Amino acid sequence: MAIRTALVIAAFACCLIAPCFVVHPQTPQTNRGVIRLKVKFKSGDVTKELARKRFFLIKGSLEENKSLIEKIKQTEVTSRECYYRSKGASEALLKWLKQSDCESVYCREIEEKYVTGSEAVPEFKAAYDEGLRDFKSPELARRWLTVNLSSDIRSGFYNQQQRTIDALVAQAESSTKTRMLSVMTDRKGTAYLTDIEPGTYVVSNLVGSETENTRILWACEREVKAADLAVAMKRPLTLSNEKDPKVKCEIVEQPLPVCTR
Amino acid sequence: MKSEPQRTQRASQRNTETFSSVPSAKSSANSAVKSHARYSLLLIIITGCAIAVVTAQTRRRPRTSKPAPQQQAPRGSAIKYSRFLHSSEKHESLACNACHKIPTAWTAKRDFPDVADFPDHEACVRCHRQQFFTRQSFAGTGPTICTVCHVRAGPREDGRFAFGNPNNAGQTTKPKPEWQFAIDFPHDKHQNVIASMRPFDPAGRKGALAYARASAPSFARAAFRESTIDGKNPDYNNCSICHVTDRTWAVFPLAPGGSDTAKYYVYKGSPRSHGDCFNCHWKALEPVASNCGGCHKLSDKFQPLEQPKRISAKFAHEGGKGEHVMECTTCHINITRASTLRGLTPDVPIAACTTCHKDNKKITYPKITTIEEEFEQYKKTSSCSYCHTSDVGKKKPPASHDAAAQ
Repeated sequence: MAIRTALVIAAFACCLIAPCFVVHPQTPQTNRGVIRLKVKFKSGDVTKELARKRFFLIKGSLEENKSLIEKIKQTEVTSRECYYRSKGASEALLKWLKQSDCESVYCREIEEKYVTGSEAVPEFKAAYDEGLRDFKSPELARRWLTVNLSSDIRSGFYNQQQRTIDALVAQAESSTKTRMLSVMTDRKGTAYLTDIEPGTYVVSNLVGSETENTRILWACEREVKAADLAVAMKRPLTLSNEKDPKVKCEIVEQPLPVCTR
Repeated sequence: MKSEPQRTQRASQRNTETFSSVPSAKSSANSAVKSHARYSLLLIIITGCAIAVVTAQTRRRPRTSKPAPQQQAPRGSAIKYSRFLHSSEKHESLACNACHKIPTAWTAKRDFPDVADFPDHEACVRCHRQQFFTRQSFAGTGPTICTVCHVRAGPREDGRFAFGNPNNAGQTTKPKPEWQFAIDFPHDKHQNVIASMRPFDPAGRKGALAYARASAPSFARAAFRESTIDGKNPDYNNCSICHVTDRTWAVFPLAPGGSDTAKYYVYKGSPRSHGDCFNCHWKALEPVASNCGGCHKLSDKFQPLEQPKRISAKFAHEGGKGEHVMECTTCHINITRASTLRGLTPDVPIAACTTCHKDNKKITYPKITTIEEEFEQYKKTSSCSYCHTSDVGKKKPPASHDAAAQ
């Protein structure tokens, strides 16, 4: 009788304790890690955040990925200005792209003044006129302006860079046997690589990111431990073009080439 | 050949035999009536058979003006033809523009070229003549196949259901919204070419409100918007070019009079209009407008339309005391890595909230409610109510919240 009572009490206690072990939907998996990435660069006397650039996570250390890192460093990339000049882009278009560090025309709104106004871009004007013929609506012709731009002008530079990146990603995935993760920095140069298996990784932008006057390529090593995002936020991985003894990095900074037509 | 007298005699004999078994004169009269009726019935049957034979022969004649039988859909139950399946073998073998005219010309409903309505009758009738025009199809309430597009079947019933994505045109929607397609959208590629800045007028609350109102679902405002942050440099395009505030997800359906309505309309919705895609993908840039399958991936069966589960249901993008000025990817930290919509949820980790909603940020943002204050609240009332509705707020705060508060 006493044993039966004890069993009933034990079962009841189990029922009470069990909910404590039920995982809340927002509870992160504790056996995974997070990297909080912070990217900045010094230009003259001013340090700025590197906004809107994609960074990739390569499994293994710098040493383990030596040949891949060498390949990344050796890869030739055309600068935005050189590309667009080679395609005969107007000075006005080059200025428009540079204004917000745009790699394609999808980057930002094409306002009225860049179509018919004081700062009109000839390529935009031609596309707008074609749109006007097609759609018979000035507003629609402006909003849908990109549909009438040539492929080279529209996103040729971005596509060319993407092909280079895709080739490097394929090589990295083949050598590490791991699918590569990538994230993009926000306006403050911050990005999060979440849900990572603990281990050593290399964080790289694969092709040099254009800053004001230079192109900077990073390949930095980081050991990831199982940790919550809140912990990772206190220990960001900071990438900079300035020497930091705490971060094991290979940084290549080159001045942007001067291009003529 | 028998002579006339012989025939008369035989008939007389038959009558005699018949009458001999009938005892009275009244009975004789009844028998005569019955015999007459029997002959009449026989005549009717023979005539009926003759008509049937003639009709059948007429039907067997080949009809050169109609399509060959193999092009016609087979007869089937009415129920079968009340649902349209893009995934049927025949439909799947057709190109999208075999039925859908791009852009829709005869019922253009938008201020931009669009696929805005069901295909024309001809698209269905060319294969489904039998389902439309046989006598069988008119039995009951009319051809069932009509109800694929029309609210009621019948030649004079021209009211149609809302086409595809329910829109604001006031059309009737199907009782159970279901989708035959899943949308394929790579956020990562789009993040590469557009960017991540959330437009916000630094004038503060007024600006946020104006933005919220402007963000009401409509094509005209969704394509591009003013996005200058510092008033000097033009800024980037951002998530809001597609994701605008969805008023159907409001926690409080009606705002009290004179209150800030922005904070009652909390979440951003998914794109509702082709206009959000066609403004770049109309032609040349794949997937172009005529390549429906570039975005709409056919499913084997009808899929219920599900809205994502909201955990912090009281969060307001445009509200938040007018202080939510961060850009989208600062909180939605996994969006820029997402190459597919499969498994993607619009989750935001609590650590993103506590970059501001923490006691040590009170100096910068004196009016904020902090996570520490909410923990205190939980101790007293066993409920967190600042971000959560009671279904979530009454649960024990998870470990991530503890970690974020430390």
